[in-house]
Amino acid sequence: MAVTRADTLQSVELADGVEIQLRVAGPAVRSMAYMIDLLIRIGVDILVAILAFMLLPDLVGMEMTNGLFLLFVFFMEWFYNVFFEAGAKGSTPGQRSMKLRVMSVTGGPVSLAQAVMRNFLRVVDFMPGLYLTGIVCMLFTKRFQRLGDLVANTVVTYAEVPIFMAPHVEIRAERRAPSKVLTREEQAALLQFLERAPLWADERRIELATLAHPLTEAAGVEGLRRLCGMALWLQDPEDKSGTPPSLKGAGMFRS
Amino acid sequence: MTPAQFEKQIEPRWQKLEKLLKEAEKSHPSAEVEELPATFRQVCHDLSVAQHRMSPQRLTQQLNALAIRSYRVLERHSAGGWEAFVRLFLVEFPQAVRAEWKLFWWCTALFYLPAALIAVITPSYPEWAMTLLGPDGMMQIESMYGEASKPSDYVRESFGSGFAAFCFYIWNNVSIDFRTFAGGILGGVGALFVLLFNSIYLGAVFGYVHYSGNPLTLYTWVVAHGAPELTGVVISAMAGMRVGWSVLRPGRMERRTALVLAGRKALPLLVGAAVLTSIAAVLEGFWSPMDLPPVIKFTAGGMCWLLVAMFLMFSGRRQKDAT
Repeated sequence: MAVTRADTLQSVELADGVEIQLRVAGPAVRSMAYMIDLLIRIGVDILVAILAFMLLPDLVGMEMTNGLFLLFVFFMEWFYNVFFEAGAKGSTPGQRSMKLRVMSVTGGPVSLAQAVMRNFLRVVDFMPGLYLTGIVCMLFTKRFQRLGDLVANTVVTYAEVPIFMAPHVEIRAERRAPSKVLTREEQAALLQFLERAPLWADERRIELATLAHPLTEAAGVEGLRRLCGMALWLQDPEDKSGTPPSLKGAGMFRS
Repeated sequence: MTPAQFEKQIEPRWQKLEKLLKEAEKSHPSAEVEELPATFRQVCHDLSVAQHRMSPQRLTQQLNALAIRSYRVLERHSAGGWEAFVRLFLVEFPQAVRAEWKLFWWCTALFYLPAALIAVITPSYPEWAMTLLGPDGMMQIESMYGEASKPSDYVRESFGSGFAAFCFYIWNNVSIDFRTFAGGILGGVGALFVLLFNSIYLGAVFGYVHYSGNPLTLYTWVVAHGAPELTGVVISAMAGMRVGWSVLRPGRMERRTALVLAGRKALPLLVGAAVLTSIAAVLEGFWSPMDLPPVIKFTAGGMCWLLVAMFLMFSGRRQKDAT
């Protein structure tokens, strides 16, 4: 589809032959998720430390408590992310709160091996501090992958592609065949324009419609009306319901 | 067919898929989910048609989201649990070491040769080793392997119990294994650096004990746990080098692909190194502090080395090659 160039949608072909689109997440939102996870981890570490050093020394002795706590810290440091990402949800609590999910590049869930790879390599992505290597690496890969993602073959995507609900709007414009033969991409652009136009202010609609001047050969409200008419024609060339009377100005969009 | 008719036609299918998915995401789904793969394929087909016909975005996006969700459910991995882990260590790990035997010997040489060199020259030229160890390092060595000291006393003093020492070694040494591996992705430089640094430091300790301490104490202390521990150090560096090498020389593959494949090959090595290091932590925490006659210590230590060597050479030979 024509939209792939301007946004973060990445097409992936599944084994079943169909193309799905993943919306990969950029460094900013991932940093937020990381910060949340970091706070959770620190919080849990502190909580466990307080509980352990209050309760355990009487039972097993101070040295034992120290040792057990070190083991706990070890597992939290290396396996917190692995545990959650390889789990059923495919995301850590931080990632979940930012509606992110780790996925294999193939579109499937990550395996344990992939989760280990991408998280152990954090050490290098962090270097020389604040994930600088990882962020630079993300900016140079089209799927925003840091080194760990590259080796593990994973991407971080938005868990839910937000479903765009167009309001039901009656568009009062006269159907008309486009004056030129349109390519598939152009047709798609026109149809999307029609879907989204009701969401914008009048000025914005007219501004965008004016860009299609070579097609409509008219500017301003007239251009918009012609553009919508062509899009309506593309939707359904034969009009069965009867064209609603074309109105002047902003009255074109009636909900 | 108009878009509206098309939408009406496919609606029951994706609604059915949605219902099946909800069912499949439960822990005990009913037998109905058997229909999931077929329904998934139908909806995939609908999605392709919708994409081709440029149906409204609302529809394609909805089908797209459904396809992603179903694919996740259908491709769900089962990690295989403990059985898979044991197999990874007992079969795939030694196989991976043997498959990369050249790299193994390179890393072994890079680890033991500099160590031996430093250890040999230190008794005659102790200044280098002393600079490297620093006053703290030298004091620690004196208190562990000095003329009148025993390492077990030192360990008891700093950790209290064998278990606490074991935990410390896991936390410290296994983390170092993981970091060594990660450093490898920088063209192998990170792994190589850690390997050489550990090598030189180890050589300095041995040389310095020969120079001013009691070598017998040192050898009886390290001989058993040294086998898995040093092998673990070498193999974690090897795992890192495996990944680093694919960056430097991807061969006939694209670098990105080479990196992914190298990561898959490195994983058993990394897991193996971590398990070996954990075994070393057990030995160092519980066996090494025991006060036993040197003969027993050396016999047991020799057995450990032999066991590690035999394990790497022969374990999993009859199993089908995992790679």
